[in-house]
Amino acid sequence: MLLQLRRTTTKYAAITMTNLQNQLAYVWEALNRAVFIVLIMFVFIQLWTAVYESQGATEIAGLSLAATIWYFLIAEVMELGKIRHDERISEEVKDGSVAYTLTRPYNYLAYHFFNGLGETAVKMTLIFLLGLPLVVYYAGWPTIQPQHALPVLLVAALAMLLDFFVFSIIGLLAFVTEDTFSFRLIYQKLVFILGGLMLPLDFLPGWLQPLARVLPFNLTTYAPAKLFVAFTWAQFWQILALQAIWLTIFGLVLLRQYQWATRQLAVNGG
Amino acid sequence: MRDVVVHVNGLAKTFRVKQKAAGLRGSVRSLWHTEEKEVTAVSDITFSLEKGEMLAFIGPNGAGKSTTIKMLTGILYPSAGQASVLGYTPWKDRRKLGYHVGSVFGQKPQLWYHLPAEDTFRLFARIYELDMGEFQKRRDFLVESFQIADLLQTPVRKLSLGQRMKCEIAASLLHRPRIIFLDEPTIGLDVVAKQQIRDAIRYLNEQEQTTIFLTSHDAGDIESLCKRVVIINHGRLIYDNSTSALKRQYLRRKIIDVRFAEPLTAPFVLPCVETLKQGTYGVKLEFDGREIPVETVVQQIMAAQSCQDITIADPPLEEIIREIYKK
Repeated sequence: MLLQLRRTTTKYAAITMTNLQNQLAYVWEALNRAVFIVLIMFVFIQLWTAVYESQGATEIAGLSLAATIWYFLIAEVMELGKIRHDERISEEVKDGSVAYTLTRPYNYLAYHFFNGLGETAVKMTLIFLLGLPLVVYYAGWPTIQPQHALPVLLVAALAMLLDFFVFSIIGLLAFVTEDTFSFRLIYQKLVFILGGLMLPLDFLPGWLQPLARVLPFNLTTYAPAKLFVAFTWAQFWQILALQAIWLTIFGLVLLRQYQWATRQLAVNGG
Repeated sequence: MRDVVVHVNGLAKTFRVKQKAAGLRGSVRSLWHTEEKEVTAVSDITFSLEKGEMLAFIGPNGAGKSTTIKMLTGILYPSAGQASVLGYTPWKDRRKLGYHVGSVFGQKPQLWYHLPAEDTFRLFARIYELDMGEFQKRRDFLVESFQIADLLQTPVRKLSLGQRMKCEIAASLLHRPRIIFLDEPTIGLDVVAKQQIRDAIRYLNEQEQTTIFLTSHDAGDIESLCKRVVIINHGRLIYDNSTSALKRQYLRRKIIDVRFAEPLTAPFVLPCVETLKQGTYGVKLEFDGREIPVETVVQQIMAAQSCQDITIADPPLEEIIREIYKK
């Protein structure tokens, strides 16, 4: 039993480590892509500085300019660092390499999770480190208390898992539709608007806020970013409960969908 | 006692394929009206395979070879029929079966492109839960069998196709699969690389009684490796017999392409050899290997005129299948 657990752990850890090695093999390319964050953050900083100045306010919806700037850095780290394995699954179906990945002795989705984890670790670290100097220059160091770091990390980890579930549902559609671009695009736009990527949920119109807060989109981006800049235990527990509910719902959907999709799969190529 | 590794009974697979008329009109129409056509990829095939057998499973493009392999490795669910591989139903016990089966798809890479093959080997050792001491021994054995010692530290993207294929096959054998599915493993390789791969596969079969299920368009692969041939066409099994019987009946004919150094001035005629085509500098000849040996034909050609190039080939598989149909 213990031996089996050890073997399973080393199996998935090896998948993550191999992907990590692969990322490091072309770290310059990853770095080039991550440089994009500097541009986005610069635009956001200019835009929100102008908004705060035009309002003549030190706070909007309880957030100072510095907190808003930090909010966007964390939201972007979460968004740009996501495990986008739906594209990979779609490619596997199109080029037929699913014939390898689906027949190996591991859980297919767990394989994609741990494979994506290596890439995500590199991407998130690079994006955070590249955005940091600009954000510190304009907004100073973050004000998060040390005792809040663990809860925020927990919410961030669950946010990643929730996102992984959604992208898995989208990715498995490739077993039938081959291409998942349109589904991904719809989901991403919903995260942009209702997930707090374009602006924190607190800035949304009053009638939209309650709806946006219970939908899953904000739990992947807004939730960790907001807790990072303005942590309250009440909001932490509320987010945690919502994350648990949506993880259960998407988990059950994924389970059924996996059984269905593997039956529908039609692999290309001779 | 017979040790049956693969048993297939009445296996069939049909796909629904979307149809769309050509052009913009067809594209617009397909937005609200999609027509689907049912395509039968595999139809009612039955065969068995014993431990240590090397089977050539051949047929033209689109015959249903890869679909059969994909059902036998558990990726595709069949539309009808049963299959048992090492006692497992592949599409139901895919993960359990995965520990005992290896597969190589010649046109699809499985090694990590930016990393040296050694890294993928180590990853596979973990995935197949190998003991690391055991893995090291196995790795050394395969490195020697495939002669890849000097390739393992080079990123896969820097390897030639032949070098990569040797590493691909070795990677698929790390977990000592009891059966290996090789789907066109020598496609696009030069003669030397092909021979090295064939030698290594044969050696493995002799040493470990690994069952080999091979698909290939190369008659050379089939002749040099497999004692038994199954031919599939339009999803149906049309031939199941020994390779020697196939050779006797169909692979006895050879085609020779010759390019001469000087232009030909008269019709090129040799005894027992049919001239298929003649140009100014070259001829295409066909002969029956039972009537006249290859060496004799080559000697006669070289005696007749100075040659720049000679290529000897088997008749294309499609031709053999056509002949089988004629009978």
